[in-house]
Amino acid sequence: MRRATLLICLVALVGAACTGGSSSGSSGGGPVTIVLWHGYGNVVTPQGQTNYEAKSLTDLVAEFNATHPDVRVKAIYVGSNDNALQKLTVALSGGKQPDITYQYGTSLAQLTDAPGILDLTDIVKGSGWNWNDFFPGEQAAATVNGRVLGIPALVDNLAIVYNKDLFDAAGLAYPTADWTWADFAAAAKKLTDPAKGQYGFAFPADASEDTVWHFDAMLWEAGGDILNADNTQATFNSDAGVEALTALQQMAVTDHSVLLDQQNTKIDNLFNSGHAGMVVTGPWALSSYPDVHYGVQIMPTFPGGNHQTISGPDMWVMFDNGDAKRQAALEFMQWFTSTQQVKADSMTSSHLPTRASVVALPGFVKAFGQKFTGEDVFAENLLNVKKARPTLGTYDQISQIMGSAIVSVLLGQSQPKEALDAAAAQVNQVLAQG
Amino acid sequence: MATTPASVAVRPPGPLRRAVASDHVAGWMFVLPSVLLIVLFGLLPIIWGFVLSFQKAGLISPNRPFTGLANYERIASDPLARTAAVNAAYYSFLFVPTSIVLALFLAIALNRKVRLIRFYRLAVFIPVAVSTIATGIMFLWLFDKEFGLANYLLGKVGLGPFGYFDSPQGAMPALVVMTVWGWLGFDTIVYLAALQGVPRELIEAAAVDGAGRWSQFQHVVLPLLGPATLLLAVWSTISALQLFDEVYFVTHGGPLNRTFVPVFYIYRLAFTSSYGFAKAGYAAALAYVLFMVILVLTLIQFWLGSRVVHYSS
Repeated sequence: MRRATLLICLVALVGAACTGGSSSGSSGGGPVTIVLWHGYGNVVTPQGQTNYEAKSLTDLVAEFNATHPDVRVKAIYVGSNDNALQKLTVALSGGKQPDITYQYGTSLAQLTDAPGILDLTDIVKGSGWNWNDFFPGEQAAATVNGRVLGIPALVDNLAIVYNKDLFDAAGLAYPTADWTWADFAAAAKKLTDPAKGQYGFAFPADASEDTVWHFDAMLWEAGGDILNADNTQATFNSDAGVEALTALQQMAVTDHSVLLDQQNTKIDNLFNSGHAGMVVTGPWALSSYPDVHYGVQIMPTFPGGNHQTISGPDMWVMFDNGDAKRQAALEFMQWFTSTQQVKADSMTSSHLPTRASVVALPGFVKAFGQKFTGEDVFAENLLNVKKARPTLGTYDQISQIMGSAIVSVLLGQSQPKEALDAAAAQVNQVLAQG
Repeated sequence: MATTPASVAVRPPGPLRRAVASDHVAGWMFVLPSVLLIVLFGLLPIIWGFVLSFQKAGLISPNRPFTGLANYERIASDPLARTAAVNAAYYSFLFVPTSIVLALFLAIALNRKVRLIRFYRLAVFIPVAVSTIATGIMFLWLFDKEFGLANYLLGKVGLGPFGYFDSPQGAMPALVVMTVWGWLGFDTIVYLAALQGVPRELIEAAAVDGAGRWSQFQHVVLPLLGPATLLLAVWSTISALQLFDEVYFVTHGGPLNRTFVPVFYIYRLAFTSSYGFAKAGYAAALAYVLFMVILVLTLIQFWLGSRVVHYSS
């Protein structure tokens, strides 16, 4: 515990130093300085390699600063995005919030009451924003109770990534775009060889939101949904939910073809070392697989279902730090998230484009896939994103409850129907309390 | 005019100057930086936490209405608080006796004049100096269900594979093994110091009176280790009930809440929204209840100790 205390003190001191530095460039004669917090890391990694996500952001910011002499954007790396909400919380309680900060889309609903948060609802309707060009799933994730509180910063989705060599060795045909989960399970079973420590499928089973959103996609593919239309009742315990969870249970408990990663730390390493035949993951993971020949295929479906996937759009959240800064920050965001800059960012950082107009650009998908193997499938898979998770302040609670239920089934401690029913009852209680 | 300086020189210093020049003030000036840090990062949060425990408060929203004892009343009917309490009791029950008994054995083994004794003592103490995160990573590898060394070696003799951190039954014992390993060196050093404080003449006197080695240990050495044992029991119980780092890093409270302990619950209530918003007040109330439990347990241990422990002086 003493170590933890010391760490907290250190973090507090460093935090104070950072915010102190960032607020120093105040208004006056020269350009308006605005502060942007991100979690992309430093341009040069500690291993001496180039971090193209950070490089892309830094280059675009430099370009903006060079072409807009009245505004100076300071992009500051504030540590992992996992801690972005905590960092912002600390900054808010000290009144030192940045003008723009990167946040997970699922954090948005918790920021509705944050002092000074910029309500973008009317702003993004204005000309120059082209709001409807953002994918519908992104728009939904940016909107909390009818208020737009974020501008899409990063979009992703889930698809199958498979090891071609393991498929070849097992004499299996590669996954196709019309696969069902039964095909998936059959392949996973054939790819499993306990003697070699080889599993057909690796699944994040730490009961976190990572577990839950993998399940959400399957739930939607089976035709179900998480909550009802007005977010007052849980519906994930429908027949579709049971079908989806039973498919996972079949693989994990009956076939033993799934490696359940309960710390959620080793899936990428296992796949990259040829110990997992398939993973369901997003575009960010591809750069972790340099040692295997992988292919990407869209999600399987259930009989009578569809090939939907799930997207977890992250957001730029803005704070009102006075008229001059607000206007400068909006000017930057509009420029930064326009079609041209989104395309430039995609081609440098391998981020999927946040705008439909970029995917529709002639030749873009092909060039994107040539530069980043497999990313083209993810880019087109954006069109399979039909639904978004509910933007509710209580979402984390709902996720917590669903995650526990899913993992208890995967560990063989309960049956899909009873686990989902019990979870739905708990979620309904949370929803009733509001 | 010429007489004035002389009269000033003989006048005794005023009360203010005397106070400033005194040892008392100088002492305080030396410790002032530490005192300020303690007040800032220790005392103020303690007081603020106490106020918070009577409010319905989050950390973002400035809206913090007072709700009287509502936070404290909620604890009794909170199933997660009960789970955390049961897990903490289970962990302490395993951790405290295991670490004390093992430390005693190790200390006795290290309290001899053999070759390389300094190396052995260092080896035993090194885990204490290793950061919790490094220990955590090491044990995650060692106890990996599919690829860990532990299951590999046990498989050679036909045992396992065991789930360790991945199995609902095995996670807590695995956590105990990891934390005992991490803290054993500290307990051992305390016992070693106590053993070296045992006066030789007492043991020799016992030997002259015909006591065998076991009798010497049982009737002379063990009673003299009483104060050290009391210290370790109190210290281990407090740290066991405050378990957090290892759970946060290694098991995240899982699987299925089997390693879900109070401080981890308090952390998640206050700093995440896994259990809803504006739970910082409730988290503070839980923290104060945990403090009271630790205080009462410590007082009981000291009271028991005062009846059993012999102080040599």
